[in-house]
Amino acid sequence: MVDSLKACVVDRAVAAIDPAEGIAFVSDPGFGGIDVFIGKVRDLNQGRAVQGISYDLFQPLVLSEIDRFAADIQARFGPRLKLYVAHAKGRLAVGEVAVVVAAGSPHRDEAFRACRALIEAVKHRCAIWKQEHYVDGDSQWSEGCSLCHVEPSPAPEHGT
Amino acid sequence: MRTVTLQLFGAFSELDTTAGAAAGPEGRAGIQINVEGDTVADLRQALRVLLPARWPAFAAGLLDYSAFADSQRILRDPEPLPEDGRVAILPPVSGG
Repeated sequence: MVDSLKACVVDRAVAAIDPAEGIAFVSDPGFGGIDVFIGKVRDLNQGRAVQGISYDLFQPLVLSEIDRFAADIQARFGPRLKLYVAHAKGRLAVGEVAVVVAAGSPHRDEAFRACRALIEAVKHRCAIWKQEHYVDGDSQWSEGCSLCHVEPSPAPEHGT
Repeated sequence: MRTVTLQLFGAFSELDTTAGAAAGPEGRAGIQINVEGDTVADLRQALRVLLPARWPAFAAGLLDYSAFADSQRILRDPEPLPEDGRVAILPPVSGG
């Protein structure tokens, strides 16, 4: 468990994710480097025009898994590290923020690496599902990454 | 024989659960399923029989790529089913 982690799920019907909150959380007088990843809803996927995305999450599992990923990342790139994750749930339109990951540390290298490791874990290992809504009226769940046979170690690089 | 309440996520949330529905926390759709045995593998086997029988239009092959979990962690096939009988089915994930 990392004491310098904030992880939250933001219901789009209630609020929008604010990247500034992530930057504020990982800021520290001793930190010279902050890396922020902002994931947004894109207007095209595999040749199909996208109108929006609905996110479904198993929230308690997502939050406990992020705790474990953060502890692992702190062991690899810390110990001085602050981490922030916010993921949207519900329906988002093109251009809206789906996820923010921020990492702060004394120097930039650890911040870049921790941020990258955390967003990859969120995308490939967390119980989150996206359903794409297309301009033609059709909707489809993304194919995604299977959690079968995933070992408790850093995820390999993926193409998405 | 035991009864498992299966919480449905992602593509599985599209299953029509109007018959024998078991709403979970937050009103999430679920199904009740009788399982012969005590392990996650036994639940998987029960679903392998139930899905094509009750929802013939559903692409039941998704089951082979899906994992199971309680609210804290992933449960592997050889592991025992949770005491409270509440299990989530996790199709391949696509966050971010």
